[in-house]
Amino acid sequence: MKALYIASTGMAAQERNVEVISNNIANMRTTGFKRQRVEFQDLLYQAYRRAGAQTSDQATQVPVGVEVGSGVRAAATPRIMSQGNIDQTEKELDLAIRGEGFFMVKLPDGRTGYTRDGSFERDSTGLLVNVNGYQIQPGITIPDNANSISISADGLVQAFIGTDTAPTQLGQLQLARFVNKAGLESVGDNNYIETAGSGAPQVGLPNGDGMGNLLQGYLEGSNVNPVTEIADLIAAQRAYEMNARVITGADEMLQATSQMR
Amino acid sequence: MENAQLISLSRQIALQRQMDVVANNLANINTTGFKGETILFEDYLMPGAADEAFLDGDRDLHFVQDWGTMHNMESGGIQQTGNQLDVALEGTGFLVVQGPNGEAYTKNGSLQIDATGTLVDIGGNPVLSDLGPITFEPSETSITIGKNGAIFTNEGAKGHLRLAEFANVGELQKAGDNLFTGTNPQPAVATTVVQGAIEHSNVTGVTEIATMIRVQRAYQTLATIVQQQEDVRRTAINRLGDLNA
Repeated sequence: MKALYIASTGMAAQERNVEVISNNIANMRTTGFKRQRVEFQDLLYQAYRRAGAQTSDQATQVPVGVEVGSGVRAAATPRIMSQGNIDQTEKELDLAIRGEGFFMVKLPDGRTGYTRDGSFERDSTGLLVNVNGYQIQPGITIPDNANSISISADGLVQAFIGTDTAPTQLGQLQLARFVNKAGLESVGDNNYIETAGSGAPQVGLPNGDGMGNLLQGYLEGSNVNPVTEIADLIAAQRAYEMNARVITGADEMLQATSQMR
Repeated sequence: MENAQLISLSRQIALQRQMDVVANNLANINTTGFKGETILFEDYLMPGAADEAFLDGDRDLHFVQDWGTMHNMESGGIQQTGNQLDVALEGTGFLVVQGPNGEAYTKNGSLQIDATGTLVDIGGNPVLSDLGPITFEPSETSITIGKNGAIFTNEGAKGHLRLAEFANVGELQKAGDNLFTGTNPQPAVATTVVQGAIEHSNVTGVTEIATMIRVQRAYQTLATIVQQQEDVRRTAINRLGDLNA
């Protein structure tokens, strides 16, 4: 009787589902967080009687076969890359992206991290860094005596230096986008790195090529919707219970078998 | 004498298989686009000994055998996800994907774009349009999919999603990974594509649990019957073999 094993694949899959949902809920207030969803697939089917097999010498055929499946597996956890809410923060180095692009930061291991988290700071040398101190790519240095920093929708960073009356251009922010955003690998700290599945990044200026434009003084919240998550959690929990019930049921049947004389 | 036992056993084997089907349905209760299975039984009439040669002909003996698993093709619920690459199909149509062993059909409309820009299903199989696989250029954004499966981006039309339907869904075989295989696909006529939504599994927990309880009880009843038959036989042997009787 395969029912025991089939139900155990169901329980394992729902366990994974609850893990992903709880991670979504835990990151409900994480800047730039994108929710994940578990996609399930059914496993192979065993055909005890095949549709289309001949049933007599009069060329009559089996119209429907007997196929018994072998359970379920979690096939993928794609990120839903929809836009999160834009919250006003009035901090001059907070940036939100409206559109598809990602900010690029230099990770300590030399790779480039891609992130939607636009809460940047100045470090001791005036470099523009994210909250972990990782430098934004391409690097932008803001002098000590700069004030009224303004970042335009297309990424131009300007500030008034000292007592100047005209703004000075400090740099140009760039964004990256991917053919398959859902294929990016999450490395924590709100960063993603490119994979063979995501394809190579296309780097460009904000506002062009579908990159999306920048909003200064705003941050992008997570796109987690608590109502959906709780509803999914309840569904996952019930599915788990029902699969556990199948295991009990199959066990009782086996018990009846073992008690036969 | 043993017939009652053998018939009970044939039923028990069939019930075990039914339990497997129920377990598989419940395991897939959250699988996008999953269609539940119902197992059907028929009796197998044991050929009797030559009639009329005996005063009282053989009684008919009906054994149980499983005869088919039917795909329940009812629609599962449609849930809004807001994801632009999710499509739900309302109606009898299937999406057509290019699987490793030829075309396969699926109701799982949770689609992705792979590294080359091709629209694929969750297993990485390219989704087919009337013009073959659908590839998006890196510069293309805001993908919209119309009710008739027409795909548009900011750079224009990209063809129609190919939707197939079948005269006899019973002949479709499940290949795992949410895919069906079958022959003779016809273009679907009355299927609507809903973008930003997915179709849930159509397995209903209540029905499956109720079926499971029935299977379980029937199985236990049969176990008892087998045991009682055994007792009858034992008694018979004791009585008939008793010289003092």
